[in-house]
Amino acid sequence: MSKNQHDRAHHAKKASGVGDPQCFRGEAGQAKFKNGDKVRIRDLPDIFYTRCQVYTRGAVGRITKVVYESPAAEDEAWDNTDHPEWFYSVVFRQHELWPDYPASYKNDTLETEFSERWLEQA
Amino acid sequence: MPSPSRSALMRHFDLVGQLQPAYHQPQHAPYPDAIDHAKYRALLRSSHDVGGEPDVPIEWEEKEEEQWEANTFATCECLAWRGVWSAEERRRRQNVDVGETQYLALPYYGRWLLSAARIIVDKQYVTLTELVNKIDEVKSRYEQKSAR
Repeated sequence: MSKNQHDRAHHAKKASGVGDPQCFRGEAGQAKFKNGDKVRIRDLPDIFYTRCQVYTRGAVGRITKVVYESPAAEDEAWDNTDHPEWFYSVVFRQHELWPDYPASYKNDTLETEFSERWLEQA
Repeated sequence: MPSPSRSALMRHFDLVGQLQPAYHQPQHAPYPDAIDHAKYRALLRSSHDVGGEPDVPIEWEEKEEEQWEANTFATCECLAWRGVWSAEERRRRQNVDVGETQYLALPYYGRWLLSAARIIVDKQYVTLTELVNKIDEVKSRYEQKSAR
C-alpha cells in the first residue's frame, strides 16, 4: 500500500482528545465471554506477527476482566483498525503452563491479555 | 483449528531452541522433504515470542541512557505522531521483521533505529538511493573530522 492511497493519520485523528483504546469503545459488539469464564487458548497460525504467546496455546485459564475494545495486534501491526475486538485478562496456574513448575509453588499464577479471537469456551 | 496438545508445544520449544545460533544444527538450503510440519512451525514463529524456549542466562548491567538512544526514541515517536507507523507496527518491524539473527544480536535501540530507517524507505518517504547516499555523505564528513 503506498502512502498516496492511505490516510496515515487516521488513527491519530480518531484517538485525538479521546485516547486509545477509548476511541474504539462500542465498536466490538457483544462480548463473547464474561468474568469467571473458563477459556482455552486457540492455536491459530502465528505467521508474520502475533502477541499471543506460544506458551499459552492449548492451556486453560479463567477470565478475570473484560478489559477494553481495540483492533487485534495482528491487524494493528499493518495499520488496520477496521475490526476492533474485545480484550480479556486471563489468569493461568503456572503448573498449567509449565509441566516442570515446582509443586511447592502450586498457587503461583500468571495473568496476561488476549484478544477475543484467541479464546474458546473450555 | 483445534488446540495443540501441551506436550506437542513443549516439543516445539525444544526444536526452536536447537535453531538458535547457540545450538546450531545443519539447516542451510534444505530440500523440501526435510521440512515437516513441526519444523515449519518452528521456522515461521515470531522471533520475539521467546517465552518457554531454552536459553542461557543474560547478564544484566546497569547503564546510563546514551544520547543516540534518546535521539532514536524521539525520532520513532515523531514518526508515530506524523502517522507513519503505530506502536504496534513499530513493534512488528523491530521485533519480528528484523529476523531471528538481528533480533537476538542487535542492541535494543539498534533495532528501533534500523526499523525507523527501513519504514521511511518502505513507505517511500525517501528512496534507498537517497538514504545510502546520505549515510555515505555523513560517514565521509565524520571521517574527515576525526582525522584532524
